[in-house]
Amino acid sequence: MELLDLFLQFVTNTGFYLADYRNIIMLVIGILFVYLAIGKEYEPLLLLPIGFGVIVGNIPFFKGFGIGIYEANSVLHYLYFGVTSGVYPSIVFLGLGAMTDFSFLLSNPKLMLLGAAAQMGIFFTLLSALALGFPLNEASSIAIIGGADGPTSIFLTAKLAPQLIGPIAIAAYSYMALIPIIQPPIMKLLTTQKERVIRMPDLREVSKKERLVFPVVGTILCCFLAPASIPLLGPFFFGNLMKESGVVERLAQTARTAVIDTATIFLGFTVGASTQGDVFLNPKSIGIFILGAVAFSIATASGVIFAKIMNLFLKHKINPLLGASGVSAVPGSAREVHMMGLRSDPTNYLLMHAMACNSSGVIGSAICAGILWSFNMK
Amino acid sequence: MTGLEAITHHNGWAMAVVGASIVISGLAILAFIISQLHKVIGLLEKKKEPPVVEIPEENLKESASAENCPANIDVTLELYRPLIEELDEQFQLADLYALAKKYHLPHPHLSIRCLRDAGILNSLGDGVFRLAA
Repeated sequence: MELLDLFLQFVTNTGFYLADYRNIIMLVIGILFVYLAIGKEYEPLLLLPIGFGVIVGNIPFFKGFGIGIYEANSVLHYLYFGVTSGVYPSIVFLGLGAMTDFSFLLSNPKLMLLGAAAQMGIFFTLLSALALGFPLNEASSIAIIGGADGPTSIFLTAKLAPQLIGPIAIAAYSYMALIPIIQPPIMKLLTTQKERVIRMPDLREVSKKERLVFPVVGTILCCFLAPASIPLLGPFFFGNLMKESGVVERLAQTARTAVIDTATIFLGFTVGASTQGDVFLNPKSIGIFILGAVAFSIATASGVIFAKIMNLFLKHKINPLLGASGVSAVPGSAREVHMMGLRSDPTNYLLMHAMACNSSGVIGSAICAGILWSFNMK
Repeated sequence: MTGLEAITHHNGWAMAVVGASIVISGLAILAFIISQLHKVIGLLEKKKEPPVVEIPEENLKESASAENCPANIDVTLELYRPLIEELDEQFQLADLYALAKKYHLPHPHLSIRCLRDAGILNSLGDGVFRLAA
């Protein structure tokens, strides 16, 4: 009899017994992400850790033993601290800075305005989320999805609405992975064939001194403007200065490889694991996903429309497709703009110009995060 | 509370307008600063640059060889020509130096300086050089 009791007790503690439909739904989503990452190679660096994290986070367990990500003293909880404290996004920005070449932006600074214009999706979504009844802190966190920047979204949400990190991170990264599906129809809809074949001028040579001065000037100006963006832009420009200085090549190399890779692994995995079905699957999450899609689409559209407005005043016209790369999904949106340009004219190479807008978008979305954070400080 | 009432209650309109204005004006200022950066750096560099003294062509080769440069600079040039051809027509000295290091050429710094001093590498400004015709 004791043997049977022991066996039954064991059975009631297994995932098979504890599973409910929400876990099953999330496991299917996790497997889908892993499939997309490996089978279709859709943003594998993001979707693989997140997808596997979703699978791990949705294996049912007996609560109270310190196993789950939301249980104090669990291993996952400690790893998740990097997300909730905003440490991983800052580290990712350090590596991103050490990877970014601002030469293209420095040689054509007016492209920076497209990075600013693409942030309009953020403020439009802020209004939409407020109108749907989300409180200000949650609306601000949802709005930042429009920046198409995963680490920035996670950072701001960790500060303003930590209970929404899971759905917001998943929405932000999902839309980044879905760039090839979301952006091209919007670009095509808002531009004519004649506009899509506009050629950009050759980029001028940028001196090393310019590349050295830029991160210092950028840090001072952007962080003075929105001090709340210091945790993101500080490491970002520092990483870039390390790269450009050439005197700490070993550190720059580590920042753009081992450091950012480590942070990306733990960020993706723990964000995925935070999507436990019982916490994740609720009407709010669905609202966040819908608003996220709106935010991302508006951001793309506003960049393109702003480029067209600029063309009304410019002697040398800008290819309006570049406006779509003003979102900070690096380098996905730049690649998509380049591909769209090539489809219209196989000899028109827009990649370098699109990367300029993209890097400006990273700065723009980090400033927006700082602005939204400061709006929430009362 | 939902709809326009909720937006007004949270001061949403003002936040959207002010937020959008801040990010656009901030990046516009940054764009203006970086558009002037190369001019400012150019001005500062001009101030620092010592007066250029014209040296006759024949004396250049002599002076280069005088300061630890190889007696026959053409040998150095033959070593460096394939490397220069690997680069674009206009290139940064740092790129040439990196190539020389890659192919383990001896004393790349000294050799490149000698090539410069001998007038074989012509400066086009902003750290850009090209092989003399």
